[in-house]
Amino acid sequence: MEDIDKDILIRASQGDVQAFEEVYKVSSSFVYNVALRVVNNREDALEVAQEVFMIIYDKLKGFRFESSFKTWVYRITANYAINYAKKNSRAKTVPFEESFGEGAVESDIHGQMDQEHQGQLVEKLLAELNPDQRACVVLRDIQGLSYEEIAQALNININTVRSRLKRSREKLLSLRGKVDYEKV
Amino acid sequence: MKKCDHFKDLILTDYIDGQLGKGMAENLESHLLDCGDCRAFFKEIKNNVTAPLQQATRQPVPSELWSTIKQNIELKNQATSPITDLVERIKGLFIFPRLIPILASCILMFLAGSVTLNTIHLQQVKDQDQGEYLVSLLSPTGTATAADNNDGGTPIEHYFL
Repeated sequence: MEDIDKDILIRASQGDVQAFEEVYKVSSSFVYNVALRVVNNREDALEVAQEVFMIIYDKLKGFRFESSFKTWVYRITANYAINYAKKNSRAKTVPFEESFGEGAVESDIHGQMDQEHQGQLVEKLLAELNPDQRACVVLRDIQGLSYEEIAQALNININTVRSRLKRSREKLLSLRGKVDYEKV
Repeated sequence: MKKCDHFKDLILTDYIDGQLGKGMAENLESHLLDCGDCRAFFKEIKNNVTAPLQQATRQPVPSELWSTIKQNIELKNQATSPITDLVERIKGLFIFPRLIPILASCILMFLAGSVTLNTIHLQQVKDQDQGEYLVSLLSPTGTATAADNNDGGTPIEHYFL
C-alpha cells in the first residue's frame, strides 16, 4: 500500500468525500484482499471491507498523525477481519480433505498451474489455519509486510509473529501428503 | 541433530522471510551445503508452503464496494446535520463520564471538610473539659465551676454541697 498525502488525509478527516475517495483508491486493494484471504469468502470480504472503510471514515476525524496512516489501516483491517472470521469460522470452513482429497488438485508451483486452481489451493490452504495464524500468513506471504509491520498491525510481540508463522507453516507442510504439488 | 532442529526453526521463519542477519544467514547457508536433510526441508518449505501463497494473485476490488461505502457516508452525513451535531456536542458536556469525577471531587471535599470540623469541635470540647477540671481542683470547696455556682445541678449534688 502506498503512502497518502497528508493534505488528502486532513481533507478526508473533515468529511470531504472526494478526498476520502482518494484514500479509498490507495487502500482498497489492501483492505479487500486482506479481508478476502482472512475471511476466505467473497461476500464476507465485501462486508468486512465496507465496515473497515466506515471505521476509517469515522475515526479519521480523531487521527493525530502520531503513527503512520498505513500502519493504522493495516491494524483496523487485520483486527476487524480476524474478529469477523472468528465469529463466522465454524459455519464457513470446509475441511481440507473434503475439497482436496487424493489427486483432487493437480498443481505446479512453477507457474503452469492455472489461476483458478491456484486460487482454490490458496483458499484451501488458508482454511486450514485459525484466523490469527491466517492473518499472519496473509500479511507476510501475500501482502509482503515485515515482521515489525505485522507486529504493529496485530498489536503483538515480534516473537509471537515468528511463532505464529512457524506453526502455520508447519501445519501447511503437514498437508503436503494430501496435495500432490509436483504432479503436472 | 540438535543443530539441524535449530536451523530448521530459522528456515521456517527468519531465513525464508529474509529477516535473518547477514552473519547468521551465512552460517545457515554453509550448513545447507553440508546437510542434505536441511536442504530438502528448505526446498520443501519454499516450494510447497510459501511459494503458492506468494504467487497468489491479487483479486480486483469489486466496483460495488465504493458505491456502497459512498451511499453509507451520505446517509451518515444526512443523519448528522449541523444542528444535531451541535446538540450532540452540548450533550457531550453533560454525559456521565465527565460528571463522575466532578461529583466524586465534591463528595471527597465534603467528607474532608466535615472530618476537619469534627476534629476541631472535639478538640474544643476536650480543652473545655480539661479547663473545668483544673478549676475544680484549685477551688477550696472543690465546687468552683461556673456551672456549679448557678442553680443548676441535681438534688444529690445540692445535698452534698
